[in-house]
Amino acid sequence: MKKIPRIGSLVLAITLLLSLSGCGASDGKTHLKLQIWDVNQRAGMEAMCAAYTAKNPNVTIEVQVTSWSEYWTKLEAAGESNTMPDIFWMHTDQILYYADFGILADLTDLFDDVEPDYYQNHFSEVSLGNASGSDGRIYGVPKDKDNVVLVYNREMFDQAGVAYPDENWTWDDMTDASQKIYDATGKYGYMAYNDEQLGYWNFVYQNGGYILDPETNIRAGYTQPATADAIKYYVNLQKNDWCPDQTFFAETSPGTAFFSGMGSMFFEGSWNLLDAMKRYPELVGKWDIAPLPKCPNPASGDGTGTISNGLCFATAAHGKNLEVVKDVLRFFGSEEGQRVQGESGAAIPAYLGLEDSWTTQFQNFDYLLNVQVCYDQFDTCVQYINNATRRKWKSTVADEMVRVYNGSNIDESLAKMQQIADSYVVSD
Amino acid sequence: MNNKLSPAARREENWGWIMVAPTIIGLIVLNLWPFVQTIYTSFCEHLGFGHYKFIGIGNFIRMFENAEFWRATWNTILFCILTVPVGLFLSLLVAMLLNAKIKFKGGFRTIFFLPMVCAPAAVTMVWRFIFNGEYGILNSIFGTEIGWITDPKFVMVSCAIVAIWSNIGYDAVLLLAGLQNIPKTLYEANSIDGAGKVKQFFTITLPMVSPTLFVVMIMRLMSAVKVYDLIYMMVEETNPAVTSVQSLMYLFYRSSFVAGERGYGSAIVIWTVLLIGMVTVIQFYGQKKWVNYDV
Repeated sequence: MKKIPRIGSLVLAITLLLSLSGCGASDGKTHLKLQIWDVNQRAGMEAMCAAYTAKNPNVTIEVQVTSWSEYWTKLEAAGESNTMPDIFWMHTDQILYYADFGILADLTDLFDDVEPDYYQNHFSEVSLGNASGSDGRIYGVPKDKDNVVLVYNREMFDQAGVAYPDENWTWDDMTDASQKIYDATGKYGYMAYNDEQLGYWNFVYQNGGYILDPETNIRAGYTQPATADAIKYYVNLQKNDWCPDQTFFAETSPGTAFFSGMGSMFFEGSWNLLDAMKRYPELVGKWDIAPLPKCPNPASGDGTGTISNGLCFATAAHGKNLEVVKDVLRFFGSEEGQRVQGESGAAIPAYLGLEDSWTTQFQNFDYLLNVQVCYDQFDTCVQYINNATRRKWKSTVADEMVRVYNGSNIDESLAKMQQIADSYVVSD
Repeated sequence: MNNKLSPAARREENWGWIMVAPTIIGLIVLNLWPFVQTIYTSFCEHLGFGHYKFIGIGNFIRMFENAEFWRATWNTILFCILTVPVGLFLSLLVAMLLNAKIKFKGGFRTIFFLPMVCAPAAVTMVWRFIFNGEYGILNSIFGTEIGWITDPKFVMVSCAIVAIWSNIGYDAVLLLAGLQNIPKTLYEANSIDGAGKVKQFFTITLPMVSPTLFVVMIMRLMSAVKVYDLIYMMVEETNPAVTSVQSLMYLFYRSSFVAGERGYGSAIVIWTVLLIGMVTVIQFYGQKKWVNYDV
């Protein structure tokens, strides 16, 4: 009997020793870490890593998932102490902060030996914009791209006798349909809630306005007439009977309301579509997606526009395994690597021409969602709004938007939002 | 002074230092040093990734000129006013009931202590369902249509209710310990003198339990000034009622970690520390009037 504790401690000691040796990579292989925040994409990222390991057996890559809110606190702390993961996802909201501070490795020359102008030949301008620093250099290998689509409930449209939305739809068609559906079924129409990327930004750019001056990307445009009109139009949608008000959305997200059958339309990012198909199997075939409705009488432009964001793979400027990591990144940005990502359903590949590889996973369902909409919309998309100071004024402007929804004078609030954003311009 | 100590006593003193060293070192490394750094940071602008630029009292000027900051200060004070007195009163009531001769006393004690064992995140999720304006239990029972956590008039009360509910059990257990230290003979003598239950409460129970009550009150006030997680979980940033309930620590979180302005965030922390300090000083003076340390 007395031997058991002794054996136990021996086993423990050996395990500890083994786990130690794991850190030291005594097996002669290079062990890398890929840090991401979206658990839905874990399998896709693991498939990409496995594809790389299949070609380079001496490198293994472990995928680690951290929740969105913790991700940035951790990454910033790791950046301070130079202990960043070997490869990590970068988001447009944050890339300028990291890139401009010299934390990220400059990857502009990454593909020079493969093909001159590789980035320009295989990625869109919007994708590259989302992966660039303020100096215009590239700090991440474009991973994916997305845009915003209109999600609608087919059954409710049928019940109200309204034709499904198509690429010719305008804002007026959307409000008409909302009213008809509300009258016929008692369900909400288009659910317009307080959001930037999935809300008023789209309306602003469709109307020919801008959040950041397109010329310099420095000055904000909240008081610019086309911008102000679009924001007012969007906010006032909640005054209709067929649209819930902001107090409703504080407790129930539009997605929840839509998939529990409370409303007939909302704007959703393409990155959430596959998850929605999987999460609500009993609703497959009862809903579909359409292009965003156009602005019927834009101040300028043709009335189209959808915000397109994209993530990229980045690495630390002073990483320990920089050369190996660069090789992995070359693979992640290659046609082969991006195809693995698309076919795994993780996201629409940033690599031009591979968009429809993302359809693969949607073909597993009885009803094929009209994902072609997402691909077509890239022709009219607007790059995600960002500049070096936005990180600082983002939340204050969002607070002012909350006040607008609480009924404060919208012109005064827009003037204040303008002033907040501009106050950071002067200090530079 | 050391000269007066015998070698044995000196050895004992050294051992004393060694014994408390882990705690003291821990306090210095984890509490004291970060606090000193926070004071320094509050006079700086955060440039990014741990680099700071000294800017003097700029953060404080900006803070005092900011209406949102004053609103958060008032929200925090209001939260204290709402939760501490009511919470203390209810905890004392529960403690006295649990101290009485009732059946299933152990069961009740467990039930009241349960909220302490639950993860705060889970607690707030459940309360959000209860408070939900569309399909929440509370509105169904009373037939009302109140937006408990979306209406600026109610949101603070709703958060206070959750805070009180979460803390009653823990406070009651502390107070119960205080109550059980009161010698039974006092009550016996008192009832022989013909005193009623109410008079007994004010002449014996309250004075005898007052030291414990004082400790509980200080703890509760401090945690009320520092309230953050509960409000963060209950009220999201796009909730129209957020300005009516945003506490100082919530504001600090958003400044330091969302906007990345750690200097400004540190200034808010320093202000909060001063606030706690003031409240505590007032309490220590006030206690002389009502806390009874004689047995």
